[in-house]
Amino acid sequence: MRLQTRKILDRAFSGSGVLAIALMAAALVILLWPIFDRGSGAIFFTGTVEHRRVMLEKFERGDRREVEAEIESTRTARAPLYEMIGDFERRFDSFDPAERRKYLKPLKDLKKALETLLGPAPGSVRPMLMRDQYGQTRWDRAQVKLAHVLYREEWDYSNPAKSGVLVMKLRAADFAGTPIEKLFPYLEQNLDKMLLPRKTVYWQFLTDDSFDSHFFGGIWPEILGTFYLTVGAMLLAIPMGLIAAIYLTEYARESRLLNLLRTCISTLAGVPSIVFGLFGLAFFINTLKVSNSKSVLAGAMTLALMILPTVIRAAEEAIRAVPRTYKEAALSLGAGRWHTVCSIILPAALPGILTGIVISMGRAAGETAPIIFTAAVSVGKPLALWQTFTQPTPALPWNIYNLATEHEAVDEIRHVQYGMVLVLVSMVLLLNLVAIILRARVARRLRA
Amino acid sequence: MQAHKAVVRLEGPAAFVPYVLWCGAIMENATTMEGKSRDLPPLLLSSSARRRQRIITFLGNGFLLAITSISTLAVLFIFYFIARDAFPFFRAEGFREFFTSIRWYPSAVSHPEFGALAIFVGSGLVTLGAVIVAVPMGVAAAICLSDVLPFSVRQVVKPVIEILAAIPSVAYGFFALVVLAPLLQQSGGPILGVAVWIVGAPLAALSILVMADLATDKLPDRARSVARWAAICLLGAGAIVALTLAGKTLTGLHISSGTNALNVSIILGIMALPTVVSVSEDALQAVGRELREGSYALGATRAETLVKTVLPAASGGILAAVILGVMRAIGETMVVWMASGNATQIPHPWYNFLQPVRTLTATIAGDMGEADQVTGSARFHVLFAMAFCLLTFSFACNVSSEWIIRRARKKAGG
Repeated sequence: MRLQTRKILDRAFSGSGVLAIALMAAALVILLWPIFDRGSGAIFFTGTVEHRRVMLEKFERGDRREVEAEIESTRTARAPLYEMIGDFERRFDSFDPAERRKYLKPLKDLKKALETLLGPAPGSVRPMLMRDQYGQTRWDRAQVKLAHVLYREEWDYSNPAKSGVLVMKLRAADFAGTPIEKLFPYLEQNLDKMLLPRKTVYWQFLTDDSFDSHFFGGIWPEILGTFYLTVGAMLLAIPMGLIAAIYLTEYARESRLLNLLRTCISTLAGVPSIVFGLFGLAFFINTLKVSNSKSVLAGAMTLALMILPTVIRAAEEAIRAVPRTYKEAALSLGAGRWHTVCSIILPAALPGILTGIVISMGRAAGETAPIIFTAAVSVGKPLALWQTFTQPTPALPWNIYNLATEHEAVDEIRHVQYGMVLVLVSMVLLLNLVAIILRARVARRLRA
Repeated sequence: MQAHKAVVRLEGPAAFVPYVLWCGAIMENATTMEGKSRDLPPLLLSSSARRRQRIITFLGNGFLLAITSISTLAVLFIFYFIARDAFPFFRAEGFREFFTSIRWYPSAVSHPEFGALAIFVGSGLVTLGAVIVAVPMGVAAAICLSDVLPFSVRQVVKPVIEILAAIPSVAYGFFALVVLAPLLQQSGGPILGVAVWIVGAPLAALSILVMADLATDKLPDRARSVARWAAICLLGAGAIVALTLAGKTLTGLHISSGTNALNVSIILGIMALPTVVSVSEDALQAVGRELREGSYALGATRAETLVKTVLPAASGGILAAVILGVMRAIGETMVVWMASGNATQIPHPWYNFLQPVRTLTATIAGDMGEADQVTGSARFHVLFAMAFCLLTFSFACNVSSEWIIRRARKKAGG
């Protein structure tokens, strides 16, 4: 091979490595960008008068008089719409049956679409579901719903060779020549007067209960549930992990038993998370019966078992990193072994141990599969501390899954899903940041 | 306590001060303790005291060992309890249907069928895809980290990898479902077409250069240059035609559903990357400096040194990295549950990554909700049977990767 080619190959080789790392960083940015961008939309958004109504009626927030004045002004702005529809309905009786049939369905659809956008028409019966009692609370959703009022979706199957094509048809065309025809331009031009969009900061998203399966309100039950599960898991895993690490590093002698224990730890680290979930169900709930069915306690135990290997390994490494001289000095001064461990080795290894603990805490907070069968429910109230022993809880990771796939109106509550992901990811990132800073300090100290 | 807080904060040589103070404190303790038991000689304890001490030590050690065993032997418990609920299924239904049939109708009333072959294939397929994504990138990144980049850059890159590893799987799953799936469905074809060019063009250019060089190596000097250029032009034209054809075919692809094996493979690959990178970087760094320096001294470039000397020496560790990456991918639940489409079928042809699949983990997670109501039926136990297969597989992977690493270390040491 020519020298030139060898040089090019050498450069390309280094370049491919740099490219791989750049791709990794790009993947991280691409992954986090939508989460941060749209997740913040759960807290900072353009809220409509309906949002302020929900806040006032459900949480007693905001200035009652001001909001009522706003509601009044939107009522006047909306009145012409309902007049036009009423006008048309009065004329309806004089139509001949064929014409009546022609308008019946479009009218019903239109009224439904209007109800989703603006809330129930004045004078109608109060609907059962909370989501039907209010119009769109967010301006971005209101725009989507406005399009649903203006256009009708229709599938075009005229070409049998191809799959159906979605066509948007103007609803105004259905009502050509009737009083309703003018409704559409009026609605489009005056929507802001009907909903009064305004920049809103809804930080209570983090501390509010949810209403009507997350259509309204915040994610406090999920945050609290995740907190309980994580703290519970740490409370169980830290003492056991620490003691195991101390035993393995300071007490155990090389033997068959030690090898077996080590193999067990690494196998435990490799068990798929869903298997932990099944084990939690089969052992903690069905066999030990720590609770009648799912409970925070059972979930925390399962999670603790899952993060145990991480804690043990981190603690082991940190303890091994403590210079031998420390230990020898303590022993030579007459301190016993246990005394040496407690007063010299553990404090010196503490930052390293903390790093491991913080990282495994992030893992416990974010893991879903182990809590599916042991702790998580889709809907629930925030639990009091003593209820955690017997009751299941909603938790961020599970509810992200649940809302994104199993919820009846997935698209309506995207902002809640993104908000939950944002909260979970920020929690985990924050914990990792703490770990990285701690580690940097340890590294600096060891170098010095 | 005061002293230990100081340890966390102090930096540099000052960090040693507290320890000196401490040792002083311990010495004081020791003298006061001795003062209290002045009636006993300091080292020769009475036989009863010695016995007591020995018992205390023994009990203490026993306690430590017990706690350690509980936390480590949990894995045996896991095996036992998963197996206990898995064997009723095999006893009732046998092995044959489970492993060879693709008919998966576990909730049929009259004749439930438990053919899990398609599910095994689905798991295997997404894992294969993840390996294809993660291994080349991961090994390249590990090489770059251990041999190419300066220390300061490495300090910046490491946290990126850590964060990739730390992001919860459900967040990856959400991204796959809400962002990647619609993107693939709408413009998956063009994206793949462009990707073929981005990956293929540099690879083709390099291999053409090398091939042209090798083919014309033996020619006399004067003819060589001309022949080389001719070969490059010929091969280049061929490569461009091939790439254009491949790009066109891929661009024209119609992707009927964004939740498919490709989507999941990409995400799982990214999730497995941190494992692959960190384990293979360890393996590369375990290869001694002498090997590298010997190779440089013989006139090899860095790439040649790495490919011909370092990589073969580190091959065991890299294999272990791949195995651990496979474990990470096959055990992952949330991403595949959310974004693989969950269709119990073997794609046709089997390597068609654009079709939805269903994996073991997703089946366990998804079906347990229904099966839970009827504890004791085959519908419930079949999920444990799947979990048992997963568990056995990951155990085998773990043991073999450990064995490989230990052997590699022994080789490096000897």
